Amino acid sequence: MNMERTALQNSLYANSLIEASLDPLMTISPEGKITGMNQATVNVIGLSRELLTGTDFFEYFTDPKKAREVYQEIFKQGFVADYPLTIMDHKLTDVLFNGSVYKDDKGKVVGAVVVARDITEQRRIEKELMEAKVFAELATVIAEDAKIIAEKAQHIAEDAVKAKQQILSNMSHEIRTPMNAIIGFTKVVLKTELNAKQKEYLTAIKMSGDSLIVLINDILDLAKVDAGKMTFEQIPFKLSSSISAMLHLFEPKIEEKNLELIIIYDKNIPEVLVGDPVRLHQIILNLVSNAVKFTTRGKITIDVRKLMEDDQSITIEFTVCDTGIGIPVEKMEKIFENFQQASSNTSRLYGGTGLGLAIVKQLVETQGGTVNVESKMDEGSEFSFTMCFQKTNAKATSDIEILELDKDIKNIRILVVEDIALNQLLMKTLLDDFGFESEIASNGSIAIERLKLKTFDIILMDLQMPEMNGFEATDYIRKVMHSDIPIIALTADVTTADVAKCKMVGMNDYIAKPVDEKLLYTKIVSYIKQKLVSDTEAFFTIETKPKITKYTDLDYLNLRTKSNPKLMIEMISLYLEQTPELIKTMKDSFVGEDWSSLQAAVHKMIPSFSIMGISSDFEVMARKIQEFASNQQRTEEMKEMVFQLESICNNACIELQEELSKIKNSTK
Amino acid sequence: MNTKRVKIFLVDDDALFLKSLEIEFLDSGSFEIETFATGELCIAALPAAPDIIVLDYHLDGLDKYAINGISTLDKIKEFNPAIQVIMLSSQDKIEVAIECMHHQAFDYVVKSETAFHHLKKTINTIYRLTKMQKELNWYMERM
Repeated sequence: MNMERTALQNSLYANSLIEASLDPLMTISPEGKITGMNQATVNVIGLSRELLTGTDFFEYFTDPKKAREVYQEIFKQGFVADYPLTIMDHKLTDVLFNGSVYKDDKGKVVGAVVVARDITEQRRIEKELMEAKVFAELATVIAEDAKIIAEKAQHIAEDAVKAKQQILSNMSHEIRTPMNAIIGFTKVVLKTELNAKQKEYLTAIKMSGDSLIVLINDILDLAKVDAGKMTFEQIPFKLSSSISAMLHLFEPKIEEKNLELIIIYDKNIPEVLVGDPVRLHQIILNLVSNAVKFTTRGKITIDVRKLMEDDQSITIEFTVCDTGIGIPVEKMEKIFENFQQASSNTSRLYGGTGLGLAIVKQLVETQGGTVNVESKMDEGSEFSFTMCFQKTNAKATSDIEILELDKDIKNIRILVVEDIALNQLLMKTLLDDFGFESEIASNGSIAIERLKLKTFDIILMDLQMPEMNGFEATDYIRKVMHSDIPIIALTADVTTADVAKCKMVGMNDYIAKPVDEKLLYTKIVSYIKQKLVSDTEAFFTIETKPKITKYTDLDYLNLRTKSNPKLMIEMISLYLEQTPELIKTMKDSFVGEDWSSLQAAVHKMIPSFSIMGISSDFEVMARKIQEFASNQQRTEEMKEMVFQLESICNNACIELQEELSKIKNSTK
Repeated sequence: MNTKRVKIFLVDDDALFLKSLEIEFLDSGSFEIETFATGELCIAALPAAPDIIVLDYHLDGLDKYAINGISTLDKIKEFNPAIQVIMLSSQDKIEVAIECMHHQAFDYVVKSETAFHHLKKTINTIYRLTKMQKELNWYMERM
């Protein structure tokens, strides 16, 4: 009785355990009929215990065939583990089947207990995980695509920046040339008899022209800095006089606005420093003109003080302080960017392009200095920058002083070499005004003809001209005519490379177009004075023939012909006969863009270089021309090379002609 | 062959180079030299039976209507394939070299300071080769 009770209790206990499970649990007979189940099974399948008991177990699954296999396996093997099935309930629950047989006392199999574990949740997580993975992969692909696009965009942007610089510098150059004529003639007309209205209008034209030139120069400067082409001079100059001379420029404006100008200059700064005075001017000029522009009342203070000093160098801080409109805090960063002003209203009220501070920043920073700004709205701004200068014992190169027309400088004849008719007229007008005599040659070769016929005191030489450009003409004047007449280059493109080239070919100086009248006058006068001095000196010195570098070298020819004069004469005569024709063909075909003829002519020239001992540099140059010609593209470089080759060959011909007559004389 | 001097035609429209080549050949002796400024003149003189012709590749450079080097070469080979032709050019280009070889030139020499030495070497090679060919023919006949 006790035992029975215990058995009953055990059974009840087991039952409650089974009922407590949330997983569907069934017992099935060896025939596959359901014999018992828990509440979870009832819930999942959705039928009552009465309806379920005795029915076929596999009917409740989506795949009855598979379900039958499960039950067969249980009874065959005694158990089954994690067999996936789907219960055919209202929502098709995915389950994993686990089951094992149970036996009676005698060990006979009487049925099986099966548990179906609901794996809907697992499946969902699995599915979500898969989806997330797919998404992650897609996102990676998209990110990579985006990266490629971004890189492409960056390339395009970089190319665009380069193109922009190119356009800027080309355009600026093209604009400057006509501006030269506009401003120059305006100045000339301003000097004539005018009524008040005319004078007013012309002054307006001139002022607009001047400010346009300033703008173009600014753009050119920025383009140069951006392209890393800005170079700085290192020359001795007087800082204090340089600054005060520049501040003179602002005096009328400051007086007009009734402002006070205070200059504080540190006496401990050495008189002469080494640096780039022109760029320093430009920096201070920009800062002071801003200060003047944006200040309507109060004062402008310019403070120059020494910060640090050692044996070789000195660091100076320049401060420009005003009591003007000030800069809002949020714009402080932006004002140094190109084409930025503190507010878009600023330009309407005060004018300006917003390039000034960008240039200041670039000029200071590329020279290793720093720029600072402090400002309060409606109270004023303070711009300061530091810059390091080398100390020196050298004297400053004399500042250009305005020379008065000297009495002994009279009857000065000037040769102007210039191809553009407008500029010819302008130069003539200016020189007439100075009281100088002038003659115009429209290219280098005409100039040389003129020089042979007449004597001149000075030459003003344009660089870019047809036929013979300024460089070639100067080269000829110096090397072939052995003349030391002062030559001043006139150029619209003052890049440092050109200036170096001017010096290399033997020009004395250069003046940038548009030509500044005063500068032109002072330069002409100073060179003529120098020449007067050196001419007197020349009486006391024995004239020495300038040593010239030879183009040709007859070593090879001597070796080949064993210095046989007859053969030498034959060879040289052949060269002299053949070369001028080749030069002509080369030039004509270059001008006419007949590339195959150009190629052929240059090709024919090449062997002659080594025979006549002309430097192999020119042979390389000739081969380059050949290459360019085969690409059928006219380039500036090519033009330059064709002209150079021409001048080399011409010089070689002149030299060989001399050699030829020497050999002929010696054989007589 | 020893009794007769080697007859060489030099053809180039670059008079200067032609002259320098002529000087060098005459200088080294044992050659009979004739020079021609154009391909046409050279072709007209072929009956004079040259042994070797040194021919410039660019004969039509300046005068576009002049016969070019390759056509001259073809005409020479048409006249007598036994005449060996050495092509000269100032360009060191593989395409030019190959073209010359395709047209039965014996060799291709680039115009430079050492061009003459290359030519001399090539001429020696031509002679060694013809001699060997003759010996070979002689032995072949015996067999």
